[in-house]
Amino acid sequence: MSGVTTVSLVGVGGQGILLGAAIIAETASAAGLRVKTSEVHGMAQRGGTVVSTVRFGELVWSPVSRHADVVIATELLEGHRGLALLAPGGVLICATTTRISPGSVLRREQVYPEDLRAAADARGVRLIAVDAEALAREAGALRAVNVALLGAASAVMPFDAAAWQRGLVAAVPAKILEVNERAFALGRDVVHGEETRAP
Amino acid sequence: MFDNPERLRLQSVAMERTLFLSGNEAIAHGAARAATTFACGYPGTPSTEILETVARLEGVHAEWCVNEKVALETAVGASRAGRRTLVTMKHVGLNVAADPLLTLTQTGVNAGLVIVSADDPNMNSSQNEQDSRNYAKFVKIPMLEPSDCQEAYDFMAEAFALSEEFDTPVLLRSTTRVSHGRGQVVPGVPIAFESPDYVKDVTKYLMVPQHARLRNRLVIERLQRLRARAEESSLNVLEAGTADFGIITSGISYAYAREAFPAAWFLKLGMSHPLPYHKVAQLYQHVSRVAVVEELDPFLEEQVRMLGLPVIGKEAIPANGELDQDVVFRALEPYLSRRAPRRRRPVFPPAPRIADVPPAPELPVRPPVLCAGCKHRSVFSALRRHKLAAMGDIGCYMLGADAPLSALDSSLCMGASIGIMAGFNKALGRKASVAVIGDSTFFHSGITPLISAYYNQVDGLVMILDNRTTAMTGHQGHPGSGVHPDLSEGPEIDIQKLCEGIGVRCVTVDAADYGALVAALKTEVDTPGLSVFVAQAPCALWVREDLGQVVVDEERCNLCGLCLDIGCPAIASGEDAVSITDACTGCALCIEVCRRGALSLAGSGAEDAR
Repeated sequence: MSGVTTVSLVGVGGQGILLGAAIIAETASAAGLRVKTSEVHGMAQRGGTVVSTVRFGELVWSPVSRHADVVIATELLEGHRGLALLAPGGVLICATTTRISPGSVLRREQVYPEDLRAAADARGVRLIAVDAEALAREAGALRAVNVALLGAASAVMPFDAAAWQRGLVAAVPAKILEVNERAFALGRDVVHGEETRAP
Repeated sequence: MFDNPERLRLQSVAMERTLFLSGNEAIAHGAARAATTFACGYPGTPSTEILETVARLEGVHAEWCVNEKVALETAVGASRAGRRTLVTMKHVGLNVAADPLLTLTQTGVNAGLVIVSADDPNMNSSQNEQDSRNYAKFVKIPMLEPSDCQEAYDFMAEAFALSEEFDTPVLLRSTTRVSHGRGQVVPGVPIAFESPDYVKDVTKYLMVPQHARLRNRLVIERLQRLRARAEESSLNVLEAGTADFGIITSGISYAYAREAFPAAWFLKLGMSHPLPYHKVAQLYQHVSRVAVVEELDPFLEEQVRMLGLPVIGKEAIPANGELDQDVVFRALEPYLSRRAPRRRRPVFPPAPRIADVPPAPELPVRPPVLCAGCKHRSVFSALRRHKLAAMGDIGCYMLGADAPLSALDSSLCMGASIGIMAGFNKALGRKASVAVIGDSTFFHSGITPLISAYYNQVDGLVMILDNRTTAMTGHQGHPGSGVHPDLSEGPEIDIQKLCEGIGVRCVTVDAADYGALVAALKTEVDTPGLSVFVAQAPCALWVREDLGQVVVDEERCNLCGLCLDIGCPAIASGEDAVSITDACTGCALCIEVCRRGALSLAGSGAEDAR
């Protein structure tokens, strides 16, 4: 399985998980790699958990994997859930300020998990926490949370800016391309800023 | 009733010890003796007389259904209501019933449920030849095969006992020469049966993925236990002979082979699926040559070959048409003078591994939910006022089964809600359940069971949640919307007119008008007979209305939970009062259910049809 990178996108139905996966797939393709994706979306619009997997490399056979190198989570609880996919050394990029409570939490039957940083540390996972809602708002569309996160995730993925640009153009409808390009750039800059600040 | 000459005749023959019955009559009498009180089916040669006969026996309710799928679904309802139930059909009818059958294997039964499929080798009265035993393997359920009228009678009691012990539907395969042959039958003593109560159990009867995954594991385990039972069952007999020749066979083929080779050893399989591997191997300890004699497919033969044992099979015995003793003799006789094959040790296949369900992290689960603003939530909310079982169907309204609504009892396959309701209510003799089905599913396969329920004078209620689209899969068109894949529009079928055309009373209500919906539902529940209740409101995901935002008067809210019980993802419980999230569309159902006037609508926006 060496040589294949697995990225899993996790979130809640309606958060644009499938579009995010399509952008990564198009980017990997633009970078000249083989790529396969897989998703389960029968109930995607009814607020259930949605998982989409993108696998790319020189040669990819299986479209699925129970393990990911990178997890992109568009919601905090799903970020907690996505940790289970990552081994120590893996990277979790999470929209930690986005919280969508499931019914059991709304009815106070279960408790929404809080400290993702501690959970990631305990697992040896590098957490990149992003206020993606703020970035998406700044870019001009709250729905661009997924692409803002993708910008952040681009800092840990092996594609250059030109490949990402081709991926965005290929996957994002023309009408909303510009706002998504802005969200992507803002997300990428946040992580690059953090990297330069880090000791 | 007492002047019915046919009934008098049957009663008079029953006075004597021995009956002379056709195989079909024997199946019917055997079922009645085994405490069957509900029988249904669709006619088809050579199965038809089973239901005709059982209908004349004391204490059995029998009905023709509109087709075999509906018959099996009706039987499922009767079994759940606690009645031992018999379903009859011919082999091609089993194809029609395959949809419910493939999921029924997962839910299992309550009281015993036996499906009799009569095959027709040689197509004496059929358009094809098919070997129903393949279904037993496909569905992973036991298959019994009587070889004569006495066994046809006796095996019914065995079939019902197996069905209940292993919580499985049981297939009993007859063929033309068993069904339409006649022979002596010594009746057995009637079997006492205590009808089990129906207990709501969604993990058993409501096959959404999270339940079905667990039930499916049980199906695989059950097949292993059934195989162990087949090894020790008195239905599978090793009969000693004097020749160095053994025959493995089942059903009518046993009679032919027995007559052709009276000196042979026999492994006679009354329970031909799952195959008892060790009993097969035992036969090989006594003889050096073995043949499999079976009509149609090499069903047993392939499994014997899989054990690595040499066998004479379809290279000699024709793979099409009917056999008889001459065909069997002529086919096998040349092989008996050939050199016996080298003895081989059988290789028994290992039990299959069942994949673990990986433990989920201990985090709040996020199941899909009925959308905020879905008007059809009101139907479930209203239904909770009545103590009725609710047989659900396939579509997003299945989400009404989840807590806190918990409004559904069952989901089997497309259109099954109506047949199950019909059998359940008929078996209990009252309007004990309703069917809940969406508009697209109703067009898919809800019309035939509605016709069947009307014809059989069922006291019941069919609730059609009409959102004018196939919502679950992403808003595809259907005959009620008239929309085609290219989004062009054609004629729309009016559900109310369709139902009235059948002769069924039908009422259509606006799902958004909660008061009217509750009142209309009460009327339909209280009115005897069959009716259809159509609740209309377009899919909330499609229309995306913004009717404003519900606001909470925190002084009045006492956290009684009535609004939380409607399961709206826009209502959250707080410290002292509920709060409303921005997912609210202003549909106002929560305002309707609140008894303290704590909720009201503010800032109504414009309706926005996408």
